[in-house]
Order: sequence, then C-alpha cells, then structure tokens
Amino acid sequence: MLCEKCHKNEATTHIKRVINGQASEVYLCADCAAKAGFGSIHSPFSLGLNDLLGSVFGEAAHPKAIPAGGDEVRCSGCGSTLQDIAATGRAGCAKCYDTFYDQLLPSLQRLHGKTRHAGKLPASAGVEAKQRRQLDELRKALSLAVEKQEFENAAALRDEIKALEQGLNQ
Amino acid sequence: MTDSKKWYTQSGPDGDVVLSTRIRLARNFSDIPFVGRMTDAQKAQVEERVRDAVLNGNSTLAGSFHYIDMEHCPHVQAVSLAERHLISPEFSQGAAGTALLLLEDESVSIMVNEEDHLRVQVMRPGLDLNGAYDTADKIDTLLDEKLNFAFHDRLGYLTQCPTNLGTGMRASVMLHLPALQELGSMNQLANTVAKLGLTIRGTYGEGSDAKGAVYQLSNQVTLGISEQAAIENLRSIAQQVIAQERNARKQLCADVRVQDRIWRSYGILTTARTLTVKEFTGLISNVRLGAATGILDIPMDVISRLLIDAMPGTMISRSEQDLDAAKADLERARLVRDALGPNRPQETQF
Ligand SMILES: [Zn+2]
Ligand SMILES: [Zn+2]
Repeated sequence: MLCEKCHKNEATTHIKRVINGQASEVYLCADCAAKAGFGSIHSPFSLGLNDLLGSVFGEAAHPKAIPAGGDEVRCSGCGSTLQDIAATGRAGCAKCYDTFYDQLLPSLQRLHGKTRHAGKLPASAGVEAKQRRQLDELRKALSLAVEKQEFENAAALRDEIKALEQGLNQ
Repeated sequence: MTDSKKWYTQSGPDGDVVLSTRIRLARNFSDIPFVGRMTDAQKAQVEERVRDAVLNGNSTLAGSFHYIDMEHCPHVQAVSLAERHLISPEFSQGAAGTALLLLEDESVSIMVNEEDHLRVQVMRPGLDLNGAYDTADKIDTLLDEKLNFAFHDRLGYLTQCPTNLGTGMRASVMLHLPALQELGSMNQLANTVAKLGLTIRGTYGEGSDAKGAVYQLSNQVTLGISEQAAIENLRSIAQQVIAQERNARKQLCADVRVQDRIWRSYGILTTARTLTVKEFTGLISNVRLGAATGILDIPMDVISRLLIDAMPGTMISRSEQDLDAAKADLERARLVRDALGPNRPQETQF
C-alpha cells in the first residue's frame, strides 16, 4: 500500500484515531509520518494532526464564520486572527483562547467531547474554578451519603451545595 | 552516573509485554506567544525562565538536572536522545532557541520551546502509569510555583495545539505485541481502543519496513477528564491488551515453527558479523518474544538495553572512532554478539 500523502513510498505507519465518535485513519510512509509528528515511538502528537484530519478548526475557518475585511478581530496578545488559528490549527498565544473562546468552543467540543477542564487546578486557578471543583466533590459525597442512607450527613451536604451554587450563580 | 542506572537499562512491571511508560505534560507561559509565533528573543526569555526555575531554585529539582542547548548539540547526540525517547525526533533537529533539561538518570526530561514552551516528560520501565504521573505532577507543581503556567478556569492548561487543552497530559505505554501482530489482530485492536478514547499506533523501526512489533497506546482526550481518570482508563485497557498478547503468545509459541524462528533469530544475532538496523530490529523482536516466554534464557533488561544501544545515533555518539554506515553495521553486530553471545544465555529445555 502506498503512502496516502505523498503517494510515492510504501506506507508503514497506520494512524487511527477517533474524534468525538468520528473514526479516521490514514496510512503514511516513514517520511510523511515523521513530518506529521508520528516519527518514532515516543514522539509527542505534534500538530501534523491538522493535515491528517482536515482542519481541527474547519468550522471556524469557514468563510461565513469570519467577518470580511477590516473589522477582523485580532488577539491583543499575539495579533492572531481567527483565520490564522484555523489555518494552522494552533493558537497564537494563551490570550487567543479568551479572544476567540466562543468561536473555538464548537471545535473543542468536537475534539474532546467536553469543553470544561476536570483535571489538576494550579494554585493560580480562579475562585470560580476552585468552587466548581468543590461543588463536584460535594455532589459526589452527597450521592454516596444517600446511597449509604446517611440522611443527616446528606442534608448537611445538600445545604452546603445549595450555598455554593448560589454563590456561583451571582 | 553509570549507564546501568539509566531507566531504560531496567525492565519494569509487566516487562514481558510493556517496554516503557511515559507521561508528558504540556505547559506554557501566558505572557509570551506560543512557540509558532515567538521571536528569537522571546525564545531566549522562555529558556532563561525555565533554566532559572530548574537549576537555580532551592527546590528538590536543583542540582540533579543537566542543561543541553539543543541548537548547538552535535547531531548524532541529538539523534541518540531521541532514540532513548528523551526527546521527540523533531526536537533533535536542533531548531534555534530549543533546549533540554535532563535528569541524571534520564527518567525526566524537560523540552523547552518544543511544541509548547515546556514539555515535562517522565519515563518509567514497564507499566507504571501512576508512578510516572506522581513524579510528573510533583515536578509540575514545583515549577508552577515559580513559573505560573498559563491556565484558564474553563479550558484548563492552555496549549498551542487544542488537542492538548485541559490537562495537557499525554500518557503512553509502549508495548511489544509480536503475537497479536502475527495473528493479525492489530486492526481490530486499533478499532476497539479508538472507541474507548485511546489510540494505538505502530511504527516499524527506522527503515521503512523493519518490523519491531512495537506499538504505542496513548490517551486521546485531555479536556473534561481528570488526569487520574485518563490514566485509569489507559491502565485498564493496557492490562487487557497485555492479557490478550500473553494468550496469543501461548498459542503461537506452542508452534514449533515459531520456536524455530526464535532460535534462528537468536542464532543470527549471536553469530552475525554485520547487522543493519532493519535486520536487527526484526530479529531482536523474535528474540524478545523468546526471552519473554522462557524459550530463551535471556534477562529482559539485557534486551531493553540493546534496543537503545544498537540504534545508530547512540552507537555513533558513543563510539571513539568515526563510524560510517558499513562500519556501524560491523560495530552493531559486535555489540549484539557481546550482549547475547555464547556465554550469555543458558539453554532451557521446553
Ligand atoms: Zn509519504
Ligand atoms: Zn493570541
């Protein structure tokens, strides 16, 4: 089988992945695989991904999604436009994610299936993120308490959750 | 430090099937553009910050890391770093402003200005996801105290590529799957793990059709899942793949033709006078299968070490003489004979 990218060399690397339930696969030769960031066993998944899957930000890059001409929004951190990000599949800087948050969200949903971080919180994480995490933990504790029929404990947890939820909604 | 203390010279948990475990965390600064949009001055700035945090801190990190300027690192040494899985192959190109911080036993490496400002990578022999993550997590926390990584309350750790957003964590297990490969199960396996949010991919050594039967199983999703859940998911699926491979090996190795192939491969490796990387990769895979199933009496760590030592960059960078391709093949054959040779393995009956 020939490499699907250069159509010259024998394909030796089979790359298969699923993004939000959509399976895709590609057969590449060693050269093209290396160029796409699949060069050796432990290479990180650097971004040839985009070439492989079509643009991660395909939707955002669609002409209709981008206002024409001079009123193009640029990231204040790096000067990137949404089109720049869509073309490369990479953000220009951390601020890009704030600047284009709404436009990028559908792509992130497609990519990961979810759009809210559930992992480690650094010391610098905002109060809201910390409270949300606390809320998640309290809810888990509540269902455990209900399961174990520890009703007093459950009632206390419920109050605590309610208070936190109110704080978050304000 | 002697070579025998390096992580890749040891065999770890489930070492009959699992070569190594890797955890990689992508981290960035919020006030400097990502690597794709950085000036040289900004690259230098990132490098300085990271170097200062790691080397000059009074933290537990200080003192045990080596600093390598990748831009000026001799090419064969850079290739050797990639062969030892300490850096990505792309990183071995030595682009301007790239640097590596490497722990003495080479189990922790921090790539600076690779695809993200920092990539913290922890390697362990065998299957040890929790152990590798614990170390990565501690290093990340120590670094974050000084460096204050870019973090978004909803999107988590911010990375250049959106595929890493959230935890920024890629966990991988490197598996030797000669039996599943031979039984033609790899496509089905790839389909199955893909449905579970993982990816498995094979790369066949250096040459285009050299076969090492080595596959990498990794998590795909980084946003909306905790590190622990992602690791547990990967671990439990890795365990199932390991069990399947062991079953397949039992079935396969009962066949005298397979035993014959293992012994013949051993015969060639212990007698050949010249060995290309491609030939070596195919034969050592058979010998590894033999060693793992008890057909050959060779300690797994001897093979783990050979899998690194016989690679071209590592061989050339360690050699005192100038090695061209032909000389390297002679040298490789000698190296392999010495490691596996006559007085090495005792025959076992089966
Ligand atoms: Zn190709
Ligand atoms: Zn930006």
